This record gives sequence, C-alpha cells and structure tokens, in this order.
Amino acid sequence: MPRLMDMGLDQLNSLLLDMANLSQQAVAAAIDAYTHGGKGTGVRQMSDRLQVLHRQVSDLSTEMIARFQPVASDLRFLKACLEISYGFFRYGRYALDITQVLEMFGDLGPCDRTPVVEAARKTQEMIRLSAEAFGKRDVEMARSIPSMDDIVDESYRSYLRKAINEKGNNKCSMSAMLILRYVERIADHATYIAESVEYITTGVEPSA
Amino acid sequence: MTSILVSGRRRSWRRIFDRIMKALILLSVVIAVIPLFLVVADVVVQGLPAISWSFLTENPPSPLAGYGGILNGIEGSLLMVGMGTLIAVPLGVGAGIYFSEWPESRLSFLSSFMNDVLAEFPTIVIGLFVYAVVVAPTRTFSAVAGAVALAIIMLPIIARTTEESLKIVPITLREASMALGIPRWKTIFRVVISTGKSGLATGILLGIARATGETAPLVVTAGYLNFPPTALFQQTASVPYIIYNFGTAGYPNWTTVAWGAALVLVAFMLILNLSVKFFIGRKSTGVRAEI
Amino acid sequence: MSLPTSLVGVQPKFETKGLRAGFGSTWVLKGIDLKIPPNRVTAVMGPSGCGKTTFVRCLNRLHELTPGAVVEGQALLDGEDIYDRNADPVAVRRRIGMVFQKPNPFPTMSIYHNVVAGLTLNGERDRKKLDHAAEHSLRGAYLWDEVKDKLSDSGASLSGGQQQRLCIARALAVEPEVILMDEPCSALDPTATAKIEELITQLKRDYTIIIVTHNLQQASRVADYTAFFYLGKLVEFDETATLFENPKEELTERYITGKFG
Repeated sequence: MPRLMDMGLDQLNSLLLDMANLSQQAVAAAIDAYTHGGKGTGVRQMSDRLQVLHRQVSDLSTEMIARFQPVASDLRFLKACLEISYGFFRYGRYALDITQVLEMFGDLGPCDRTPVVEAARKTQEMIRLSAEAFGKRDVEMARSIPSMDDIVDESYRSYLRKAINEKGNNKCSMSAMLILRYVERIADHATYIAESVEYITTGVEPSA
Repeated sequence: MTSILVSGRRRSWRRIFDRIMKALILLSVVIAVIPLFLVVADVVVQGLPAISWSFLTENPPSPLAGYGGILNGIEGSLLMVGMGTLIAVPLGVGAGIYFSEWPESRLSFLSSFMNDVLAEFPTIVIGLFVYAVVVAPTRTFSAVAGAVALAIIMLPIIARTTEESLKIVPITLREASMALGIPRWKTIFRVVISTGKSGLATGILLGIARATGETAPLVVTAGYLNFPPTALFQQTASVPYIIYNFGTAGYPNWTTVAWGAALVLVAFMLILNLSVKFFIGRKSTGVRAEI
Repeated sequence: MSLPTSLVGVQPKFETKGLRAGFGSTWVLKGIDLKIPPNRVTAVMGPSGCGKTTFVRCLNRLHELTPGAVVEGQALLDGEDIYDRNADPVAVRRRIGMVFQKPNPFPTMSIYHNVVAGLTLNGERDRKKLDHAAEHSLRGAYLWDEVKDKLSDSGASLSGGQQQRLCIARALAVEPEVILMDEPCSALDPTATAKIEELITQLKRDYTIIIVTHNLQQASRVADYTAFFYLGKLVEFDETATLFENPKEELTERYITGKFG
C-alpha cells in the first residue's frame, strides 16, 4: 500500500530526472557550439529553467522532511536530493558559462579544439552515467565514475602545464583553458552525484 | 430518498401516540408503587400510637394492658444480628477477597455457587438446618443459633458484594503497587480493599439490613422470650418475632404493639439504606474520576 | 547479534539470555538476548504483538502475575539472575521502578501519600524521611513546584500529565536503579508528552531507563539506543541515530519507513 509520502517522493524523483535530461542537453548544446562554432542558443533558457527546478526540489524535500519526519532510506534520499539537484543545476550553469566564453572570444575556427573536445566527451559520458546511475540507483555504475574524473582532471592539468610554457596571449589557449576549467568542474559534480547515489543505497558516504 | 418533511396529520398522530404511551407507562409506575406506599402508610398510621420512649425501653405488655415496649426484641435483635455480623463479615469478606484476587483458582466455582444458590436460598430451610445442627444438640433455642442462621443468610451477600467491589478496582492499581515492591497481601489489604472499601461497606450494610428483617429462621432457632437476653444459650426475642407473635394473637393492644415494632423495623431499614446511599455517593466520585 | 561499537566492553545494567515468555502454550517472546547499557535510555519498539511490553514486564517480574503466564531464560540485573530460584520477586521489584501507559495514582491517597506509598506500605514511619523523600522525588519528576502547596489533595485531582509525573515520582521515591516505562506518553497531550520526554533525558543521569514506545519519533528524540522487536524476536539493536538513518536489517528498514506494521 503506498504511503503518504510516496507521492512526494515520486514527484521529487521525476523532478530530478527532468533536471538530469535538461542539464545533459544544456551541456551538449554548449560543447556543440564550441566544437562546430555556434552560439549555443537556448542554453540560457535551459540554465534558468534548471535553477527554477532546483528551487522546487529544495522546497519540496524540505517540506517532506518537516511533514513526515522520514527515516532510513527515505531520509537519505531526501538529504541526497539536494546534493544531486544542485549538481544538475551546476551543469546548466557551467554550460551557460561556456557559451558566455564563446560569446566573448568570438570565432575560434583556427584553434586546435581536440583536447577540450576529448575531455568534454569524457565528461558528457560521466554526466550520462551519473544521471542513469541515479535513475536506476545503480551503485556499480556510480562507482565507475570517480576514476573517469581522474582522467578529466589529468587532461585539464596537462593542458595547463603546456599553456604555462607557451608565449603570448593566445586566444585559442585562453578560451580552451577557461572551457576546460568548466568541463573539469562539471566532471567533479558528476562524481558528487555518483557519491550521493551510493549514499542513498548503502547509507555509507564513500571516502574520497 | 425519503424527505424529512412529514405531513401534518402524521406528525400530530405520532405526537398523540407518544403521549398515550407515556401515560400508560406512568400509570404502571403508579400502580406498582401504590401497594408499597400503602404498606408504609399503614405501618406508620397503625404503629405510631405505640411509639414512645418507653416503647423502646420496656418489655412487652400482657394482653389488654397497654403498649409496653419491645426492649426484649430490640436487644435480642441487636445481639443476634451483631453476632451474626461478627461471624459473617470476616468469612464473607475473606471469601470475596479470595474470589476476586485468585479468580483462576480451582475453588472459584464456589463463587458462582454462593451467588446463584446460597444467596436466594429459602431462609426457613436455613433455619431448619441450624435447628438440626445447633438447637437440637444444645437442646435449646438460643441467640447463638439465631446468630448462626443470620450469619449463613448474610454470608453470600457480603461475599458477593466484596468480590464485585474488588473486581472493579482496576488491575493497573494492583500492578502499580506490586511494581513498587509491595508484597501481594499488603497490596490486597492496603491498596485494593482501600479503593473498594465503599463497596465493601455497602455489602455489609445490605447484609445487616437483610438479616434484621428475617423472621422465619429465627422462629426455629431463637424462639422468643419476654425479657431481654441474659445468656447466649437461651431463647431470645427479636423484633420480627414480636411482629409475628403479637400481630396475630388477636388482642388489640398487642396488635398495636406489633405495628409499632413494624414501624421501628422499617425505620431502622430506612436508616440503613440511607447510609448505604451515603457511602456510595461519597466514595464513588473517586472511582469515577479514575475511570 | 553484534553489539553497537559504543557498548563494547561496557558492563550492561540488564542482560537477558534466552529470555522466553508467554501465556499457556503460546510463546510471545521467543528467546531474547539483549544487553541494556547503564545510565542510558533504551527504547524497545516494534509493531503490535511483537512482545515489547511482555519483555519489559519480564524485567520486573510483573509478567508472572498474570494467570497462565510462563517465563524461561535468564535476566541478569548487575550480573544476578532475577529469575534465580533464590531470587525474591519483591526485592527485584524494589530495585526496578515502573511507569504504566495510563497514569494510575492510588485514588484513595493524597498526592503526598501517593508519592511515598512505596515507602509507607513497606513500613517506613519516620516522618522526616518521608517528607524528604516526597520532596526529592517530586522535584526529580519536575512536579514539586506545581503541587507543593496542595500535597494533601487527592492524587486524582491532577491533570493527566501531572498524574503521570506523580507516578514517576512515586517510582523514584523507592530509589530504584532501573525505570521501566510502558508507552508512558500515549495517553497524554503533546505538551505533557514534551515535559515527560524532557524529564526522561534528565533522569538517565541517575537511572537506567527502558522505554517501550510505538512512536518512532519519540524513540528518536529520547532514546540513546533502540531495540527493534518483531514477532517475539530481537531483530536489531543499535544506537538510535544509526538505526534510524541506516538500519542494518531490511526488516527494520521496512518497519521504520512504514512499509508495513
């Protein structure tokens, strides 16, 4: 028999899944704009929408904690909701930040965009996995994400090291660095989301 | 769905019907009460002439010689009811306590035996029993025999009311007492009985009231004496016996003496019953607040 | 069952070994091994019929007073089995106080006499000792200020919450070491409940408290440790915070999240 709070839990769940889809779309649009030279239209709307959704999630999960005084897995889910929703919201923000870089720097046609594109592809894979792990509460899938984060971190750092030794204000390397930074942050949030998924299911916060 | 609005004709018919029923019921109450009322009225009217202070302090008159008194009966009744109470109360209360506090015991069937059989037993038969057991061996009617008969009559009443009064005391009070480390017997006497004591007192008073009015058993156990009792093992007068003896003798003054004795008896019963009501009224507030 | 880490090496105040209890041929408790820590509040909870009340009533040997009751196994109070053949139930009950679900002050006694009933009915006559015990216990039950001017009033003249605190004072007056509470707040309004819960958290400094409750929130508010019973068995025993956030047993999880029972 469904409990009183199941309705609220289902609503939170679908809100988060919506945010997962929306944030993936936003990041994809931003990276696509970088890769193929576009403006990334629509990313702003998606980011704003994600903020609205995040606030809804925050309100609803707080209300449920106050009303139902949940325990065990319900409590863990509600606690993790906030983390996860924030993560999806940040995906959208960083996607917006990327489009703003593109706007500022203008045409990047002649640049070598491969390092960023590769890191971005890895990150998008991480985003997809994090969303799916959440949707299915799949702990194994969640556990596979942190190692991917290491790879993205490494590619960010190695590009930085290279750029430090370069001479001059290079539009290409500057834009690449900024965008890589955002990509790396997105990857970090994907790992936070993965950790939250593990917490919901096992009750243990995985040590970093 | 039927409407709540009823036609005027049906309404007034219903009202008339209600009133008829109410009147009929009232009539039955009046009819039921009248005989009782007449009895009391008769007793008062017929007995009042005999009442005076000397009525209560002198012995009965000879035939045709005034009203005298019923001192012998009063003292005899007091003696026998008193002794009967002394016998019946410890036994009856004890039995009541046992049936209430050990309901699972094998002797608990005795409780229903007492309540269903003994309580309504024909008292003349009880008198006959005591005749065989006390009067015959001692070869005399006696106050003791009378007291024993009265005690047997009082016993079931006291046992039953004790049992019921104690059973009403909530189990949780016993548990609270036991949980404090108070031993069982102290729990029974200091907590349970203390809480149910108004019921116990009621039972005892009811028993006394019943015993005071019994006539038949005293006829075959205590007999009659024109003087107040001087020994335990001799014939003893009682107020009911006076009524029986003097009321049917035929002498007019004796008849009045009998009515006077009846009035004294009725007055005594009334006082007892009022005391019972007093007890119930006073103590039950405590119990009601508990529930 | 493994002990919560904070209780490893702690000498339990009460320890049951294979405690079984029931009525006639029906076992309600089917073998309980539980270590109750001293000076803490331990909650016993579970769905109706799980044996939690029976368990607690075994701890002060009240269970056996019901006709047909049976008990087996051991219950060690500071290492001594209260069910030992030589154990005196009255002596056991003097060391263990009990507060019942519905407040039950003695109706024929005043507030004062209610509080000291455990002493007077056991022969204490010294008026000064009784006065001192009365004040001390009433203070300990957070009731002194409310009744100090009407000690001779009937115990039944108090409100429900006050009556329950009176019963707690009555239990305290006998100076027990353990206090058992069988759903002490279930008949009280929220304000009275809050007062008693606060009282419980203070009392644990001096007493070991075991509280039966079906109210999960109450357990999480007052209890340091919680034992979850189901169908006469101990399913899980742990620190309350852990049990409520991350229970180890699936049965516990399903019960506390309301998926059954």
